[in-house]
Parts: sequence; C-alpha cells; structure tokens
Amino acid sequence: MTPSTRKSEPKVGWFRRSLPGMALTLALLSCAAYAVTHVPARPEGPRYLGAGNPTPRSGGTFVFGAASDVPSLDPHIAYDANSYMALRLVFDGLLDYDHTGRMVPSLARAMPTVSDDGRTFTFHLREGVYFHDSPIFDGPRELVAEDVRFSLERLLHPETASPGVSFFGRLRGFEDYRAGRAEHVAGIAVRGRYEVAFTLDEPDQTFLNALAMVFAYPVPRENYEHYAALGDAGEVERNPIGTGPFAFEEWERGVQLTFTRNRSYWQPNRPNPDRMVMIEQLSGETAVGRFSNGDLDVLTSLPAVHYLFFKQAEAWAPYMAEEPEATIRGLCMNTQMAPFDNVHVRRAVAAAIDRDFMRQMAQGRALPAGQMLPPMIPGYDEHLPSLQRFDLQRAREEMRLAGYPDGLPEPVTAWIAEGQGSLVAAQLWGRDLERIGIRVEYRQVAFSVYVEETGKPGQAQLFPSGWNMDFPDPSNFLEILLHSQNIRPESSENRSFYRNPELDALLDEARGEPDRERRLALYRRANDIVSRDAPWAFLSNDLGAELWQPYVMNYRPHPVWKENYRDVWLDLPRRRVPDSIYTMGGAR
Amino acid sequence: MTRYLVKRTLWAAFVLATLVTAVFFLIHKAGDPATVALGPRATADAIADFKRQKGLDQPLAAQFGSYLGVAPCVRLDSPDYRDGDGHCGLLQGSLGTSYTHREDVAAVIGHRMPRTLLLGVMAMVFELLFGISAGIIAALRRNTWTDTGIMVLTFAGISVPTFVTGPIALFVVAFLLGWFPMGGYGVGFWNHVYHGLLPSMILAVGGAATYARILRGELVETLRMDYVRTAKAKGLGPFPVVVRHALRNALIPIVTLLGLSLPGLVSGAIVTEKIFNWPGLGMLTIEAINKLDVPIIMATVLMFGVLVQLGNLLADVAVATLDPRIRMGERG
Repeated sequence: MTPSTRKSEPKVGWFRRSLPGMALTLALLSCAAYAVTHVPARPEGPRYLGAGNPTPRSGGTFVFGAASDVPSLDPHIAYDANSYMALRLVFDGLLDYDHTGRMVPSLARAMPTVSDDGRTFTFHLREGVYFHDSPIFDGPRELVAEDVRFSLERLLHPETASPGVSFFGRLRGFEDYRAGRAEHVAGIAVRGRYEVAFTLDEPDQTFLNALAMVFAYPVPRENYEHYAALGDAGEVERNPIGTGPFAFEEWERGVQLTFTRNRSYWQPNRPNPDRMVMIEQLSGETAVGRFSNGDLDVLTSLPAVHYLFFKQAEAWAPYMAEEPEATIRGLCMNTQMAPFDNVHVRRAVAAAIDRDFMRQMAQGRALPAGQMLPPMIPGYDEHLPSLQRFDLQRAREEMRLAGYPDGLPEPVTAWIAEGQGSLVAAQLWGRDLERIGIRVEYRQVAFSVYVEETGKPGQAQLFPSGWNMDFPDPSNFLEILLHSQNIRPESSENRSFYRNPELDALLDEARGEPDRERRLALYRRANDIVSRDAPWAFLSNDLGAELWQPYVMNYRPHPVWKENYRDVWLDLPRRRVPDSIYTMGGAR
Repeated sequence: MTRYLVKRTLWAAFVLATLVTAVFFLIHKAGDPATVALGPRATADAIADFKRQKGLDQPLAAQFGSYLGVAPCVRLDSPDYRDGDGHCGLLQGSLGTSYTHREDVAAVIGHRMPRTLLLGVMAMVFELLFGISAGIIAALRRNTWTDTGIMVLTFAGISVPTFVTGPIALFVVAFLLGWFPMGGYGVGFWNHVYHGLLPSMILAVGGAATYARILRGELVETLRMDYVRTAKAKGLGPFPVVVRHALRNALIPIVTLLGLSLPGLVSGAIVTEKIFNWPGLGMLTIEAINKLDVPIIMATVLMFGVLVQLGNLLADVAVATLDPRIRMGERG
C-alpha cells in the first residue's frame, strides 16, 4: 500500500486514465486465450501401463463409474444397467452367460434336467457355496435350495412390486400365489437341501433365460427379516448380501459404492482386485477427464467428440472395443390407426428412410438395420430378403399401391420424447418421408408423457422407439414387442398394436419347441413376416464403444451384461508413461 | 410489530398451502409416475403392483388428502397404513418414500442437505473474501488502472453465467493443469472441502463481483464523509482509515444482500452442482423432476417455499432493526 492521495484530484481525462485498465484487461484476456489454445496437453494415449505380470494376480482397487445414480441394490427391484453393474459383483445366479453369450451353469452344478413334456426343470445346486459373512448370520451360511424358492417367491409377491414379475408368469400356481390364495408358488418344489425343480403350465424355453436374469439371483431370507424386524424393511435395498465374488461394503448415497473381494468365493484361485469402487453420477466429460488422468479404470459412456478422439488415437487402439449391442431402434407405427393400418403405407415408410443418417447422427456409432433381430441374436438372418432398406423407387411404388400416388392428404403426427438430438433425428427421417408425400408434424413431449401415451391404443400414430434385450433370445424381441397378447389398454408392450394370428401362432409354437434348430427356424420365419408386414421401420442397431486402462486385464464388454467387472484383475504396479512419448507433451 | 408478524405468518401459510396444492395437482397431470419410475420396459402387472403400493390407483383427491395427512393413508407400503384408518401425511410429519431412491424422503434430503450447505458456505466465504478485498482495493485506488481493471473484471464476473465459467474451469484448471479434482464429492470431510474448492469458487464469481462493485461504491461515498477526513487529518494512512472507520458503514448493504441469499444457499446451485457432479439438493431436484419422483418434488418445493418465506421475513425484520426509519406496522 502506497499513499495515493494525489490521485484523489485527477488532472487527466477519464479515457486516458482508463487506458492502463483496458490494457490490463486485454492482457488478461489474451493470457486466458493463450492458456486455452496452448495448454491442451491432453495425452494422446494411456498415462499408465501394466507391470507385465506373467500370471494373473489379485490385489489393487478397481474404479469404475456410472453416469447416474444406482437406484437399488435389491435384485428384485433393480431393472437398470447401473444397478446391474453393482449387483453382478455381489450376487450369482443359478445360470449365467459366458463371454460368447452362451448360457452356462453358475450356482447350479450343471444345466438343469428337463422333463419329457418340457415343463419341469430340475436344478442341483453347487454344494459349499456360502453367503458373504455378516453379523446377521449365526456363522457361515450356506446357500441351499430353500433360498432359491424364498428369493423367487419374494420377487413375485405383490408387495415387492417388482418390475420383473411377468418373466415368471408361466410358473405353475403363479396367479394363485399372486392373488394370495396360496402360501407358496406350486411350481417351485424344494426336493432336498440342494435340489429345486420348477414346473411350468406350458413348455417355455425362455424360462431358463428368465432364471438367468438378475431378478432371480438368490438372496438370504435372514437379511429381509433382519431389516423388517428393525422396522425399516426398505433398508435391505442398501445392504445386499449375496454369494458373489465381491461383498458389499459401503454406499455413500449419490457418491460411490465400495465392494471388497470375497476371499472365500466358491470359485477358488480367482484373481480379482481387493476392492471395487463404483462412482455414481459420473457424467461424460468428467469421466473422460478422470480416465485420461488414470483415475478411472474403464470408460463406458463416451461423449461424441471424445469418441472421435479415442478412435483416432493409435495408442488407445488395443484398449478399446467397439461392438454392436443387442438393441434395435426404429419407427413404430400404430397399425390400428390410419394411415398405418394400410400395410403398403408402412412398407413405404420402411423403404423411404435413408438409414445412413442414423449412423451419421451417432458419429458412426450405429449400424443400419433392416429387421427386428440384431445381428448377435440367434434367429437373425443376414440373407433376409428385406423390404426394410432405403429404396425410394419402391417406397413410391408402395405409396401407389396404398392408393396414395400423390402422397397422404393429411399430415401424420409423430410423438417425440424430449432430449438431445431426438427432434433433430426426427426431422431427418421426416424429410425422407416428405419425399414420398408423407408430411410429418412433430409433437415433442416430456419423456413420461411419451412413454404413457405411446402405450395406449389409438393415441400415437408414429413415434421413434427402441428396445434393449433382457436376454439373448429372439422371443425377447418378437414376442414382447409384437405378440397380440401384449396389447393392453395401458402400458402396452406391443406399442404398434400389431395383431397377426399367423405370427402369434408361430411365436407360441416356438416358445415351447425344445429342439433348438427347429425353434430358431420358427423365429426366422417370424422375423421375416415382421420385416415384410412392417409394424416398425427398423433403422439401426447401436454400436457400443468402451475403453479400459492397459493394466486392466481380462476385460471385454460382455455380450449380455455389457459392463461385467467380476472377472477383472489388475496388472499392478502400473507404470507411468513419460509425457514425452506423446507429441503434445504432458500437462503435469 | 407483533401484528405485522402475525399477518406475515398467516400470509406465508396461505402461500405455502397454495403452492403445495398447485404443485401436487400439476405433477399428477404431467404424466404417470408409475410408468416413469419403473421405466418404459415395465409390464402392466408391475405397474399395477407399484400403483397399489403407492396409492396411485386411488382418486387424486384421496391421494392429496393422504399426502396432507387429513385423510386416511393410501400408501400400502407406509408403516402407518392401517386399512383406511392410519394417517401418513405432512401433518403426521411424513414426507413419504422416494420412488426412485426408494428411501424415506426425509432421509434422502438429510443425505443431500449437508453437501449443499457445505458448497453454499464455501461459496459464501469466497464471495466475501474476494468481494470485500477487491472492493477495498478498488476504492483505495479509485480512478486508477487497478480500479478500472477490477471493475471490468467484476462486470465480466456478473455477466458470464456459471454454465460458461464452470466447464472452462473444469477443463483448464482441473483436467489440463490437474490442480483440482475432476468434479465429484470425494470421501471424508477434508476431501469434500478439496472437491468443493473449484465449484464453490465458480459459484462465488457472481456474488463476489456484485459485492465488490457495491462495496466500492459505498466506500467511495463514505471516504468523502467528514469523519473520514478528520481521521485522515489526524495522520492515519488510507488503509487504517478504510478498515477501521469506513468499512463498517459501507458493509451494511452487503449484510442485507447476504441475508437475502440464504434461501439460495439451501436450494442449491442447480447448474453448478450438475457441472461438477456435486450430489446435493440442486441435482436431486432436477433428477426428481425428470423422473417424476413425486414425493421428492413435493418435499423440495415445500422446503424451498418455507425458506423463501422465512428469508423474506428475516430480511424485513433485519432491515427494520437496522434502520429505524422503517416502521413495519405502518407499512400496510
């Protein structure tokens, strides 16, 4: 501080006095501009490499993230990718899928024996499988057949209000149990300490897929009774106890979840990190930053610009996987509403849309689709003589057959959910439809309204829709989305309200067909019918992109579970890569 | 004064009742919470189960009565539900169970409140620290290049919104330079503080700039006062003059502003929390609205409503206390 009284009576004008201030401001702005343009020392490749251990080893902490919250750690309640990432660490199922997507026994000693009528599946549990240690148990607590029954019955109980109930709807005695007329589900029989049998009302090959879902993972009864006795039954959702390779440790809500390695896991000599940390609410940009700094071990949701960066970065290539996901996106047409009750109009729509825009919209992270089944789902037919392909001439021909050679007299209304890019995408296919004389008016509504209204008949003519599979079976697409039994006055799963007795009969037959080849042949026929009848215009399958650090071993995106971290081990200690390796130089 | 307070309290109760009623019926017109909570993949069975458990299958009036606690409880999953007898609403002190967090609403807010408060208090500290020091320096060096520079910067600080400064700071200071963590909240108190430094500084920019400009103006006024001139004449340097004599009077408007900003402290900086992945009340509110989590939306609306009413009342009382020229009872 220097005395500056002389300044109190200024002799010079305001402009000249301010000149230095302006110069200072300008200098500051230039500095900021320089910093922004000249500091991008973003490394071109990984900051850390593995130690090069010749054999798999346990130890270390594995850090992964989820873009939003984990809603619940109760396998009966959770029905979202975030919860599944966590639950798949803590729990095991009777059945699981291997890295090729094939179903394999897990807590079951072997695949179940099936009765001759195809209705009864008998499982033998592995012996010596224990739940994680917990003070609520009197000692080591072995998993037994009774746990399997308890778990399924709790799942199906109306008070649980589980979203997974309908997958088990063919169990004998399902309705009686749900209505409170029976204490147990008649179709679940405990036949010994380690033996449990499921009986269905009619043959259903997908029942095993249902049993492999997280909904059916066995939970210990004591955990529920413990919290119910404390008068806080809901607390069980935040304190899971399973048999899995990791035991739940702590959950700081909205921040992170931690898990510790289950040292007495039933698969001996299994290399795993000692600790797992799952960070909640990790948005795209933040995740990329942390991953680039080596503070995050896998990167699963990539914002578009960063996707392009990593795709071009050669040093990342060995640690990046791009794999088609079992999703289908398309335009759903309400087949009970004009003009889409006319099959030719639907075919015209399916032929009028240039699928390439979907790919461009997603920066290349989408594959053009022409049928309901994605490529990795059995029943997919690469030789399908598809009408569902961009062909403007045929689209115009179909419009002529439909009786609208000059286009539709009235515009159609497309329902669009709010959200990034959905209106942009809609306007792109809307432009394509305009070329064959279908004018589209857009009605963009809140996601909740979109979900509710498109599930009611006679409400939405046309809307973009999509489906991610629950399990890798063609029925999970064709039957759920297009069987007429799934048409309902509200929350209809068949949102095109498509009703085709021929397709229904095919799907019913396929569901009970025990012979795999014959079964897939039936689904191929169903797939063909759907493609030609076009209740949907199928547009694209998603292409997933994931990255992991070089020291993360034994990780690949799983064909069914996608983020499956239970088999990972860490090649530690990791080695810092000198910044000079990358042309841009390092920031730190 | 007492009459005025009673009047104000009654008015506040009326405003809150209107608010709760309007929001309750508006949300239920916005969409079906069951469909949203269970997601588009939920089957009709599951949705029916959920509606029964939450009482969403009952008439809206019955639900509202149940929510207020004046009519029998309709939520089957509530511990207070007893076949058309028990009550489980606001009057009984129950805010309900969150649809998406699946936890008691009071507990959810209890988790989030300290985080938002921490961010708010840190931001306030930075606002005062930077605002007051910049204001003093600018006033001491008024009409010099320092003053102009500070005023230009504060002008920029008021003008540039958080959603611009936030991502830039995150990218440059946290990602490229690595001085701060890339968002998040961390584990353990000092880690929370460390994670909160960058977001609270960003949050403080606007406030600090405002305080600096106001304080400079007030100080310039005060420094012209006779008692300041007297102090100077007695040989005090400019710094002691400002700090010991002028500052005290010049701070009054800042104190008022600070009081008015209290509700905002709790409501949370929605944008800043989102940018920095700060899991506080602001983020909770936004998510609840997106997911139609009715119990959470109702609770946050109610809470913010109470805080705003309380904040205004406090500000009025404070101003009246500080400035006897304002006569409350006579204001109408």
